[in-house]
Amino acid sequence: MTRAPLSWSMRIGLAILGFYVAVALLSLVWTPHDPLSPGVGDGFLPPSVEFPLGTDRLGSDVLSRLMAGTQYNLGIAVLAVAIALTVGSILGVIAGYYGGATDIAISRGVEVFQAFPGLLFAMLIVKAVGPGVVNVILVLSFVGIPDYVRLARAEVQSRRNWPYAEAARMVGNRSWQVAFRHILPNSTGPLLAFTSINAAFVALVTASLGFLGLGLSPNTPEWGNMIARGQDGVMTGEWWISFFPGLAILGMTGAFYLLGDALSDLTDPRRRR
Amino acid sequence: MTTEPYVVLRATGLRRHFAQPGGRKLMAVDGVDLMLAAGETLALVGESGSGKSTVARCVVRLIEPSGGDVAINGRSILPLGAMDLAALYREVQMVFQDPNASLNPRMSVRQVLHEPLRLQMAMPEPKREQRALALMAMVGLTPGHLDRYPHELSGGQRQRVGIARAIAAEPNLLILDEPTASLDVSVRGQILALLKQLQRDLKLAYLFISHDLQVVRHVADRVAVMYLGGIVETGPTEAVFTRPMHPYTRALLSAAPLARWGMKRERLRLIGEIPSPIDPPDACRLAGRCPLQQPACTAGRPALQPVAPGHASACPVTSA
Amino acid sequence: MSDYLLEVTGLSGAFRSPTGELTPVLHDVSFDLRAGVTTAIVGETGSGKSLTALSILGIQPATFVRSAGRIIFDGQDLLALDARALRAVRGRRIAMVFQDARSALNPVFTVGRQLADVHRLYHGGSRAAAMDAAIDALRRVAIPEPARRARQYPHEFSGGMAQRAMIALAALICRPELLILDEPTTGLDVTTQAEIMELLAELARAERLTTCLITHDLGVVAESCDQVVVMNAGRVVETATTEAIFTSPREAYTQRLLAASQLVEGAA
Repeated sequence: MTRAPLSWSMRIGLAILGFYVAVALLSLVWTPHDPLSPGVGDGFLPPSVEFPLGTDRLGSDVLSRLMAGTQYNLGIAVLAVAIALTVGSILGVIAGYYGGATDIAISRGVEVFQAFPGLLFAMLIVKAVGPGVVNVILVLSFVGIPDYVRLARAEVQSRRNWPYAEAARMVGNRSWQVAFRHILPNSTGPLLAFTSINAAFVALVTASLGFLGLGLSPNTPEWGNMIARGQDGVMTGEWWISFFPGLAILGMTGAFYLLGDALSDLTDPRRRR
Repeated sequence: MTTEPYVVLRATGLRRHFAQPGGRKLMAVDGVDLMLAAGETLALVGESGSGKSTVARCVVRLIEPSGGDVAINGRSILPLGAMDLAALYREVQMVFQDPNASLNPRMSVRQVLHEPLRLQMAMPEPKREQRALALMAMVGLTPGHLDRYPHELSGGQRQRVGIARAIAAEPNLLILDEPTASLDVSVRGQILALLKQLQRDLKLAYLFISHDLQVVRHVADRVAVMYLGGIVETGPTEAVFTRPMHPYTRALLSAAPLARWGMKRERLRLIGEIPSPIDPPDACRLAGRCPLQQPACTAGRPALQPVAPGHASACPVTSA
Repeated sequence: MSDYLLEVTGLSGAFRSPTGELTPVLHDVSFDLRAGVTTAIVGETGSGKSLTALSILGIQPATFVRSAGRIIFDGQDLLALDARALRAVRGRRIAMVFQDARSALNPVFTVGRQLADVHRLYHGGSRAAAMDAAIDALRRVAIPEPARRARQYPHEFSGGMAQRAMIALAALICRPELLILDEPTTGLDVTTQAEIMELLAELARAERLTTCLITHDLGVVAESCDQVVVMNAGRVVETATTEAIFTSPREAYTQRLLAASQLVEGAA
């Protein structure tokens, strides 16, 4: 079956993300230099043939660190979004389909967490639970959950009395089957579309935490860490240390936004011809 | 005296109200009695706001009744728990108005038909496919349609799938909720013919919800006319159509357009529009709109009174 | 010549899909609307009846590509007019009533205000005079308490009342020569439908309107139209007087449609 052509913005978004994935995979097996060791070259070397993106203060290769950083920044974004999507959707479907006291409990809980700004909330929690990849992923997914809950709840509420939901009940589906097998698959459009916005947000916050020194250990080649390490150089002319990680973050968040509706269309049989 | 017919569906004093702000009550269905014998078609006729669709959903508990009783095949269904209710849906099924909205857009026709066979009949896979093919033939579709998605089918084909799904678990009662209202006229005739055929072959009883009087006259054995949550007239189809007693029935029949030349109708006109069903007064539901109104009409709600064998009307003026 | 107010000749066209493929939807559609007469265009889903009507007003969907045809209204080809000239015709000389009146009205203005605004646009005058005209128009379409109803918003109107207001706007405020009604009673209850059709017949007679009723329902046609154009799959199948369509339809499709509408046994 063929699909309707994707728009140009979606194609560009997909192409950029494909590139990031390829780089992340490549960096697992090969980087030009060891991204973690300092002193592979002199400090503050400008871009050259040997170090195409220059070296940082400690003499680490910026290109190698950038490539290795893709694993962290992309991985954290993908995992945090996946967890938030899963947990948020389940809670939202339960709240939307069953209503009543269950709905009130879930919705009020979500509102409490939404009262804090996302970045501030993430900073406080990471500060409290300490740095580490797993903690950062969990905290960032936690920040995204309320939005998925609200989206899933609204979608399910508007569909729970649709004739096909009634028909599903009448052919012997139990209520959880109606909610998760019939209503949820038809409610994924807005949820999947939101993942791109959420992923862009997560990518920014990951880098922000790294920049503030809250996320991962300082030597981790995470892009926010790298910008922090190079921030003094911006004033004194060693622009490449912070510039290239910044560009990488821009590219990734931009790609997530461009992806837009592509995800929501992928699972819809009406888009096939 | 003939033997009593086997009663498939019996509703007594069925009520459903919806709470409104300020403690008021919207009486969507307000004391409805229905009786449907095996293999029979009872049409529930009314305009929007009459409560006919709410009745259809209450008798299968897609909407929970607020009061009264519903018995299907002799068993009261209101006390049933979730498990027993799922089992009940082997006896009663529903065909929905808009086949586009009642089919899950992400499920192929095969998935739609396999679902009841798996969940309700617990059939193993090879038998399911066999039964699905038989169902397709019964509703006039080809095996090739099994792989289609709803959006790849015409409106009439979709409704055939909806009907196949409904008869999959071999029920003896179908609730048909305006099954032809969203179809073209040429398709409408085909679907009605199919429903008649299936009724004969499978000995189905139909509760046929409709606003289309021409269709009702074509398919129904008996008719119940609903207005504002209550039945105002009920009787054999020919009697109700040729000798309507209740002023509302007369207004409805005289307003229905007929696709024939030179039919001049003697209109019975109602005054104004259908009133709100919120906290209705204790009077005839038609009071205030009825051209034949008498003082007796506002002294309590008139009950259905027999006017001929099997024919009853809730109008103290025309029945007197 | 001047016997006909509108002549559609050889109208053909196709829908263009996002990928550029063309799906033909109208094939050489020709018919006339005689002045002072009510003509029905009858057809089922996909017959092209609504598209034809929208083309008369120049409000067909952007994906519709016309390949041939002329629509002559009072001597001028509407399809050859520029946007400005077309605006002078649309609304003032040809008006349209749509199926869903409540969504055709603007939800944020009162019904009276909307009628009054159109009145001032076409006929000038003061706000107060325009509001009086609006209330008068609502009275003439038998809306009870027209002065009070004029101050209400569209959501406070029932479907039937909203359609009356739309008819007041199209027939009495716009005062067109040609009134096109696109399924004006579809979705309304039968009692309301009968009242709306009676009202339209009355207004057409009183205002000497030429009306064109787009419908799928032969039942509505039998009582209220003089001429019938039967369409199917983008083609005109048969054109005849209403009596001829119902008593001696020539074409097989018309015969089938009639039999299906009357639910004659064995038809289908």
